[in-house]
Amino acid sequence: MLKNKAFEGALETIKGIVGKEHFYDSYEERLCYSYDATLEEAIPDAIVFPGSAEEIALIMKTANEYKMPVIPRGAGTGLSGGSVPVKNGLVLNLCRLNRILEINQKDYYAVVESGVITQTLNDAVAKLGLMYPPDPSSMKTSTIGGNVAENAGGLRGLKYGVTKDYVMGMEVVTPTGEILKTGTRTVKTATGYNMTQLFTGSEGTLGIIVNIVLKLIPAPEHKESVLAIFKDMNQAAQTVADIIAAGVMPATLEFLDNTTINAVEDYKHIGLPRDAGAVLLIETDGVKEAAVKEIGRVEEICKKNEALNLRKAETEDERENLWQARRAALSALARVRPTTILEDATVPRSRIPDMVRGVNEIAKKYNIRIGNFGHAGDGNLHPTILTDERDKEEFARVEKAVEEIFDLALSLGGTISGEHGIGSAKARFMPKEVGEVGIRAMYAVKKALDPNNILNPGKMFV
Amino acid sequence: MAFIQEHEEDIVKCMKCGNCQETCPVYQITGMESRVARGRVRLIKAAMRGDIELTDGVQESLLTCLQCDACSVTCPPGVPVNDLMLQAKAAMLKKGKTLPESLNRIRVNIEGESNPFSQPKKERGAWLPPELRQPRSAKYLLHAGCAVSYAQSRIGKAVIRILQQAGVDFTLMGDREECCGDPLIRMGDAEQAELLIARNKALWKEFGIEYVITPCAGCFKAMKEHYADVIKPLHSVQFFDQLIKEGKLKFTKPFAKKVVYFDGCDIGRHGGVYEEPRDVLRAISGLTLLEFAKNRQNSVCCGGPLLGSYPELAKKIASERVREAAELGAEILAAACPTCLLNLKEGANLAGIKMDVQDVNALIMRAL
Repeated sequence: MLKNKAFEGALETIKGIVGKEHFYDSYEERLCYSYDATLEEAIPDAIVFPGSAEEIALIMKTANEYKMPVIPRGAGTGLSGGSVPVKNGLVLNLCRLNRILEINQKDYYAVVESGVITQTLNDAVAKLGLMYPPDPSSMKTSTIGGNVAENAGGLRGLKYGVTKDYVMGMEVVTPTGEILKTGTRTVKTATGYNMTQLFTGSEGTLGIIVNIVLKLIPAPEHKESVLAIFKDMNQAAQTVADIIAAGVMPATLEFLDNTTINAVEDYKHIGLPRDAGAVLLIETDGVKEAAVKEIGRVEEICKKNEALNLRKAETEDERENLWQARRAALSALARVRPTTILEDATVPRSRIPDMVRGVNEIAKKYNIRIGNFGHAGDGNLHPTILTDERDKEEFARVEKAVEEIFDLALSLGGTISGEHGIGSAKARFMPKEVGEVGIRAMYAVKKALDPNNILNPGKMFV
Repeated sequence: MAFIQEHEEDIVKCMKCGNCQETCPVYQITGMESRVARGRVRLIKAAMRGDIELTDGVQESLLTCLQCDACSVTCPPGVPVNDLMLQAKAAMLKKGKTLPESLNRIRVNIEGESNPFSQPKKERGAWLPPELRQPRSAKYLLHAGCAVSYAQSRIGKAVIRILQQAGVDFTLMGDREECCGDPLIRMGDAEQAELLIARNKALWKEFGIEYVITPCAGCFKAMKEHYADVIKPLHSVQFFDQLIKEGKLKFTKPFAKKVVYFDGCDIGRHGGVYEEPRDVLRAISGLTLLEFAKNRQNSVCCGGPLLGSYPELAKKIASERVREAAELGAEILAAACPTCLLNLKEGANLAGIKMDVQDVNALIMRAL
């Protein structure tokens, strides 16, 4: 695809702002910024790697003048097309802004630039006995900025919440090129609109997040882990419900369904029974005595619900062993067919059996393979569709199935996206969840901040 | 324009998750998508479908791959990245794409004098004592490799002394030794490499060689992958570990140093030798063995394979490894690969860190 002539002047100015060593417009480089981790693709006109909020402000002023789309991007590991330049324009990569500016041990917060890799922050705070709890599976590569923009979740959502629960404030460049500071470094604030939460999960459509104040908590001193295998999904779901009802709040409560168990067995030969309906991986953490007592309750509940097999880790090696199946789940499923589509429909946790049953019926109806695994504790499933995008006929069935999965989640009181965001991939389904009024209200906010619709256009709204 | 269509299934497998960013040493320095497997595979896919010409940009993206294969270890769908990159490089050459000057010089040197350094073939054995310069029939061959023969003969001399001390009956090929073919395979010239491999095999057959011992990890990898049908390849450190365990070699001198062992990609991920160098070092009295946070199959490449073609990038990558070693409190950074040793020394210079970079063979000799 040729570059857009109308943007040549803007791009020349922007190259001058950052210096030519931080600006790329060859076709090869543009092709390498045409994607994220979905099947969505579109080629940008150029890629820029700014080094400061001031540079970003100048870039936005220029882009706004030329009405050129600007697409903020972190590591490009998103699962909803959030960083794909669907209307072309300029990809603004934030990876150069990768400094941890402050870790405050007295007030339990960190200030980081948005290009910091989430794992890097975790490692840095862990050395001080602290924790930044949101742990999306991509955390070894994805950036904090991307996590905040997509309101990423993770495995610890049930007990610790998700990204939005840890964002205290930020510095944002607006689409018109102004630098805006939101939030505070205090636990409490009641000053005006909660702009911090407005930008959190805004998917790069409202502003470019440059740095972020994040809440930290003391790291739990102890962990206990149990793996339980069940004959059918209902027993596993009842176990989840009983654990919560007993007042136990596990840090991790992950499940794999039968399709996923079989894929894991084909791939790793761990020794899981192939006829098992579900596997639960449960971890408690906190003060040692509490974590031990809680895992004891968990074990009792698993037994009461007729777990076929119950294994508790006594050592760190054994814990790693229990995690093997869960860690292998995505790889195992991804190796079955050439194309893997990872969805994140989420339901209230009590509806998980209905959701899994419904997804299996949809798979049967459209004759496609879907594995389910995910975060049972917070109702966040990952229906994972195993297909081949080159097979047009099959892929048409996949698209119908995806839409039915969303309808199912909504009919069970759930949401079409638990933690991946809407982006371009789910934009056409968003009205189903938020309604026309919801869309109009959101679009009014978008219009107020981005009058020329230059920031990440084509996302959320269609 | 057909371009590696036969590898389509491997190419379309990439789910573009970006996990390869975590393990790619080149991406860690450059931060560029065209410098990590996901981007490279996307470019290969575009070339396969005729959406892009085999431009210099595409070529540079592929040639900056270290072939370290760290990304394959964590790749969810299991894209065979190392093999795919080699196949794509080879297909590019076949399509008539010329190599950049730095690599072409290496190619011409190997084709002419059977070494990458533009040194005369007739002087290959000059580092050897006269009595070892002529090949003779033996069960064990010591294949020094180009780097040891022409630039790092200290490593070769250490290996010879250790072998002699253990009473091993071995021979060398002297001036008749040739390049193993690995540098050519890396740049995509598999056809020329095949000729070298055939010549080496014929020569070794003439002298009845059964085992080939080499201190060069690159040669070791090439032998495992391309020679194992006629000989059994052994990395020298692997062989010495065996001799120590059999009681044929004994350490007598203590060596009270903190040593971190670096798993080079060719001996480690490609060669599958992880424990033997550690066992050898642990057997030296007084020596404290440290570990990199990422070790064995998760080890991060030193950048060595790019030292000839993209030296600045290679040295930057190495300086990161040296920094990690210094943070561990290591006094010695040990490796069992001439390329790693050379580049890690460059990395220490670049980082301004005084780090004693040592060959494992040399450490063994010192402690005997």
